Amino acid sequence: MTLAAQGAAPADAAGGVPTPAVSLRGVVRRMGRDTVLRGIDLDVAPGKLVVLRGSNGSGKTTLLRLLATRLRPHAGEARLFGHDLVRRAEAARARVGLLGSSGGSYPVLTGRENLRLAAAIAGKGRGADEVDAALARVGLTHAADKLVRFYSSGMKKRLGLARQLLLDADLWLLDEPYAALDEEGKRLVDVCLTEARGRGRTVLLASHEQDRHDLAPDATLELVDGRVRLAAAAAAVVGP
Amino acid sequence: MSDLAAVMAIARKDLLQELRSKAATVATVFFTATTLLMMAFALGREQGVLERSAPGVLWVALVFAGVTAAAQSFQADLEDGALDQLLTYPVPRAAVYLGKMLATWAYLSVLGLLLAPIATTLYGAAVTGTAAVALLALTVVLGAFGFATIATLYAALTANLQAREALLPVLMFPVVVPIVLAAVRATESLLGGTGGPVGDWLLLLLGFDLVYFVVCASLFHFVVDE
Repeated sequence: MTLAAQGAAPADAAGGVPTPAVSLRGVVRRMGRDTVLRGIDLDVAPGKLVVLRGSNGSGKTTLLRLLATRLRPHAGEARLFGHDLVRRAEAARARVGLLGSSGGSYPVLTGRENLRLAAAIAGKGRGADEVDAALARVGLTHAADKLVRFYSSGMKKRLGLARQLLLDADLWLLDEPYAALDEEGKRLVDVCLTEARGRGRTVLLASHEQDRHDLAPDATLELVDGRVRLAAAAAAVVGP
Repeated sequence: MSDLAAVMAIARKDLLQELRSKAATVATVFFTATTLLMMAFALGREQGVLERSAPGVLWVALVFAGVTAAAQSFQADLEDGALDQLLTYPVPRAAVYLGKMLATWAYLSVLGLLLAPIATTLYGAAVTGTAAVALLALTVVLGAFGFATIATLYAALTANLQAREALLPVLMFPVVVPIVLAAVRATESLLGGTGGPVGDWLLLLLGFDLVYFVVCASLFHFVVDE
């Protein structure tokens, strides 16, 4: 399945078809004895916003973790921006930002320290102003110096979103970004993801949320029996 | 340069976490204090026996404390999916390993440097002269380095297992024997025992440190990548 480029998606050096942000060919992944992904074929062009749906245990998280290089495919070929996820994992990682379902922050550090740490490890030279701006954007200025262990689940999710904004990777991977958020928080996620797409970022999120009116995905995919199928797509997005 | 910054950021983060939570500190300080006292009582009042036992008891206490410290280092990372997050950043796996290893090394070195004078005093084993004190400190630091290299790898290996507290020492103790042996012998020499020339043991310890460091850093990505 190809979610084709449209509009101002960047072309490759030769000016031809742009290198897909995500390119999967026959990707298989087992977790224990279960084969969770059974030959995923998918191309997502840069600058697309794609929603991934599926029942519990359908493999959404597995697929996102595989794209974030945390899991290796057991068969098939997986590439991010042309980088093989196994052989050139580090180069692929440089283009990816993951917001996992648990938030991914350190409970014994403050919100501000978590963001500074992420920027330092990711090699992104972000200053104090940028950290403060990211915290302000997600409404956590008042809790910036509070230890994350005292955050609510929704605040942890907001902090994860702030990290995504701060690092602003080329490919945003989000696992249940709406979980634990109030309605205002959910709208914030919609706005941030839409803006990220506007900056040319590719966004792939797994979510059970239905009818996010503030979010206009280019395509909605469904994971069924370990395979991807198209549930809905904006016009002219699906290629041959 | 950015890899070095990542290494230092990870090490600083681990130490800051420990400073705030004191999760490993509480366990290791009580454990080492109890070990030293219990062994002193068990060995009896004979001064010669106590003196000869001091190096072994010191390193046994340090090794068990090190297991707790290394396990705790990864335990904190598992909360809220922070380890998963850490491993998605674009830094080599060896940099992640090095950052965590440096933190464990620093922690164990400080613990060992505090423990050594307490153990020698409690067991009546004298370290005479500035040079001997400096060499004892060097022994502790080199021993802690070797132990930290192995403990970091094995703590990562067992981090996701339910029985990690039981499995970690079982898996790593056979591997750590050369480090402990060389460290005990060097300490014994410095405490006036029959350990032989301290320089030889320190060189052996340094050799094992380097070999284990290279091997463990190279294997780390096999352990954390699923």
